Amino acid sequence: MGQMETEVLIIGGGVLGAVVARELSRYKVDVILVEKEADFGWGSTKTNMCIVCQGADTLEFRPEYHRSKLVWDSMPLTEPLCQEIDVPFKRVGELALIRNNEELSKFQKLKSRAEKIGIGSHKFLDQETLRQMEPHVTRQAIGALYDPNIAIVDPVRLTIALVENAGQNGVKVMRETEVLGISQKVNEFEVETNRGPIKCRFIVNAAGTSVDRIARLVNSDDFVLYPIRGYVGIFDKNLGGLIEHEIHMRPDAPGQMNIITPSVHGNLFFGTTMQPARRGDYSTTRRIAQIGLQNVRKIIPDLSEKDIINSFAGFLMFRNWEVGWHECVVQASLKVPRFISICIGYPGVSAAPATAREVTELLRREGLRLETNPGFSPFRKAPPVFNKLSEEEQMELVTKDPGYGHVVCRCETVTEGEIVEALRHGATTLDGIKFRTRAGMGRCQGGFCTPRVVKILARELGIPEEKITKKGRESRILLYKTKELLGAEL
Amino acid sequence: MKYSDVDVAVIGSGPAGMAAAIKAKEEGAEHVLILERQEQLGGLLHQCVHNGFGLLYFGQDLTGPEYAHRFVEKVRDLGIEVLLETMVIRISGDRKLTAANSREGTIFLRPKSIVLAMGCRERSRGQLSIPGTRPAGIFTAGTAQRLVNVEGFIPGRKVVILGSGDIGMIMARRLTLEGVEVKAVVEILPYIGGLIRNEVQCLYDFHIPILLEHTVIQIHGEQRVKAVTIAKVDKNKRPVDGTEQNIECDTLLLSVGLIPENELSRMAGVDLDPLAGGPVVDERRETSIPGIFAGGNVVHVHDLVDDVSWEAEIAGAWAAKLAQKGDLGKKGKIILRPGRNIRSIVPQTISGQNDVTLYIRIKEMEEKVQLRIGAIYNQAFRVVKPSEIIKVNLLQKELNSLRGKTTELIAECEPFDLPA
Repeated sequence: MGQMETEVLIIGGGVLGAVVARELSRYKVDVILVEKEADFGWGSTKTNMCIVCQGADTLEFRPEYHRSKLVWDSMPLTEPLCQEIDVPFKRVGELALIRNNEELSKFQKLKSRAEKIGIGSHKFLDQETLRQMEPHVTRQAIGALYDPNIAIVDPVRLTIALVENAGQNGVKVMRETEVLGISQKVNEFEVETNRGPIKCRFIVNAAGTSVDRIARLVNSDDFVLYPIRGYVGIFDKNLGGLIEHEIHMRPDAPGQMNIITPSVHGNLFFGTTMQPARRGDYSTTRRIAQIGLQNVRKIIPDLSEKDIINSFAGFLMFRNWEVGWHECVVQASLKVPRFISICIGYPGVSAAPATAREVTELLRREGLRLETNPGFSPFRKAPPVFNKLSEEEQMELVTKDPGYGHVVCRCETVTEGEIVEALRHGATTLDGIKFRTRAGMGRCQGGFCTPRVVKILARELGIPEEKITKKGRESRILLYKTKELLGAEL
Repeated sequence: MKYSDVDVAVIGSGPAGMAAAIKAKEEGAEHVLILERQEQLGGLLHQCVHNGFGLLYFGQDLTGPEYAHRFVEKVRDLGIEVLLETMVIRISGDRKLTAANSREGTIFLRPKSIVLAMGCRERSRGQLSIPGTRPAGIFTAGTAQRLVNVEGFIPGRKVVILGSGDIGMIMARRLTLEGVEVKAVVEILPYIGGLIRNEVQCLYDFHIPILLEHTVIQIHGEQRVKAVTIAKVDKNKRPVDGTEQNIECDTLLLSVGLIPENELSRMAGVDLDPLAGGPVVDERRETSIPGIFAGGNVVHVHDLVDDVSWEAEIAGAWAAKLAQKGDLGKKGKIILRPGRNIRSIVPQTISGQNDVTLYIRIKEMEEKVQLRIGAIYNQAFRVVKPSEIIKVNLLQKELNSLRGKTTELIAECEPFDLPA
């Protein structure tokens, strides 16, 4: 492979790397985005709770913190962004439950502070109104602080859409490309990757849970981050209508959070417990799962363990151990020129649009020339989602491409046409298909569609089925052909 | 056939769907249509290449594909219409049905009656909330069965099977025959979850280690499964500290229960029985919505395929009658309720005007009991187990004594002193 060269190298294809790439594509700048995984948004982005324009939680952010400004500044930007790049955005509103007078007075203070900052659209609801809006909510709630602004998105789809739009506007995108080392010259960096060296003048380090490690590669260790692990569970779509708002309850124990929200796809997500943990250890434990269920039942007592279809852990990188009171990293290195690190920690998706603008400004100050890209188009069209179309549209689509009449994932009604389209857009793995189309995300969790999706992947990629992986690297799904092991033993 | 003329539409063509369609046709329904999402008729039978099918129904020991083939021939001979690779995506409460396929796009039907025969699916890892990492190499036993028997792939060479359901045990044998090392079958209960014949023929005969009262408490491996940690459990199924052991493996199969597949039933708005897992039906297998019938594993999970076909035939016959007459008369009034140590009873309501077979599922294994149904039936058992459904035949003349007198029958399993 020949020497690759670019002006700006973005390390990390999570929501932050993607949003910066897309923002930079407004300008005549050479940009390469590298992502070490097989697809985009598989780190912290994937484990985000889907909530944007955060409510009661972020009201508590200290106004003097940089992070608070990025979140608040992003609030008016997120919806138009989602419209431009054609990803779901749904304003569900938030109900922050109030159980006693202590919580009431706390929320009263927060509300008046929010009004002062100018982000206030909150109002108090009495018990009766709350009950009307959410009949299944705990009887212990005497009222709620309602914020109609809170919205939900699909963070992985958002990330993929941002990368696609950036790509349309000229950004070069490389997956399964891991940064192994960075050597510094006076005017440029030479970045060593598993796909060969990349020369660049500017680096935007958006490496998520590795952001501090990448910074250390250039001796720019001017911040310290602590990995905090959170736990998220998903309830079956059957319960989709159970609640309509994101519902938040103040945690009873430190290190916990207590949120349940509908997702844009109709499931319910609940988030709980945030604890320091060994970085990269995404495993869940029985204890955490139990605490999670207990906590979410404090909000909705009717919820049952048997409706949980999946659960997972994710990492947030915090600048101190104290959950909730950390500050973000969005800065040019104090030591090394032309090297910018970004890490929001929480809530990354909510802060993304304003962060992208700020990084662009930082790059300009570091010497990047920003000339408008006359070919820039802010619009990107999402591939068709069969089960969201009207019957006429479905008919039209199948006539054009019969693959759209072949339902491969029964739980989420995902068609072969959508899977092939996701492949054309860059999916190469089973998880890639899952996050792009939802095939395998339903209640049977891929029991039915896995063999079928593997077959389509193999056919379209032109490789044997045994080579297909779940998520790249060593995650092959089918290890042998039948009779192969017998041959080996005889 | 025009889709507007369908008398009976059957959703699914497994051992239930085909039996229902055949029966409906035989009972005089003119236009019977099977909608099947796969490329061929037969549902899951194709991947069940082992024997043991049809012992009761045909009096012969058949493999799954052979069992299917008998029905497929009959479907063909009777001129039953079939739409393959066609997924039903919507049913409304007034029997409007929307399906999709590659040839016609979306298809709209309004049959006179519908038989739900969608079968069941397997419980997944996520539903068990097994802690640990999320690597490749975790499959339900049925998915593995399809991969091995239909697609021609072996998921891995060192396998642990969690759960001792029938498919899990059958896969233990199947994989052993393929040269795979099945390290253990791990069962949380003190007894095997599937049929005794599978326990003997699939596990004992192949010297596969069985660990009862154990469960998987952690999955290891970032990319591919590397090992699982198992532990002994106490009476409350909680892992006992200090009993953990690691088993190195590259694959974990799950055979931890089947769930009737009722997405469409729910969409149509039929009442579901949370205990049996499927629609509430009467002895005609009619659901709470007139004209929508259900039979086979979509109603409750059966032990034997023979019962699946028989039950679906009931649904098919009554669906045909309704399509011809337009009305079946009054619904069943007598409600059957599960009492002590009974998990579920199907059908959930009966009229008392027909002979009826009740399918009774026990909650927990118990010795020396009597099964009692109201005042009209009792039988003593040395042992009852959740893995073995109890079939009880009630005759119309026995039920006649109840008419007008009662609206509820309680089935109970109670301790009973058996003479030595």
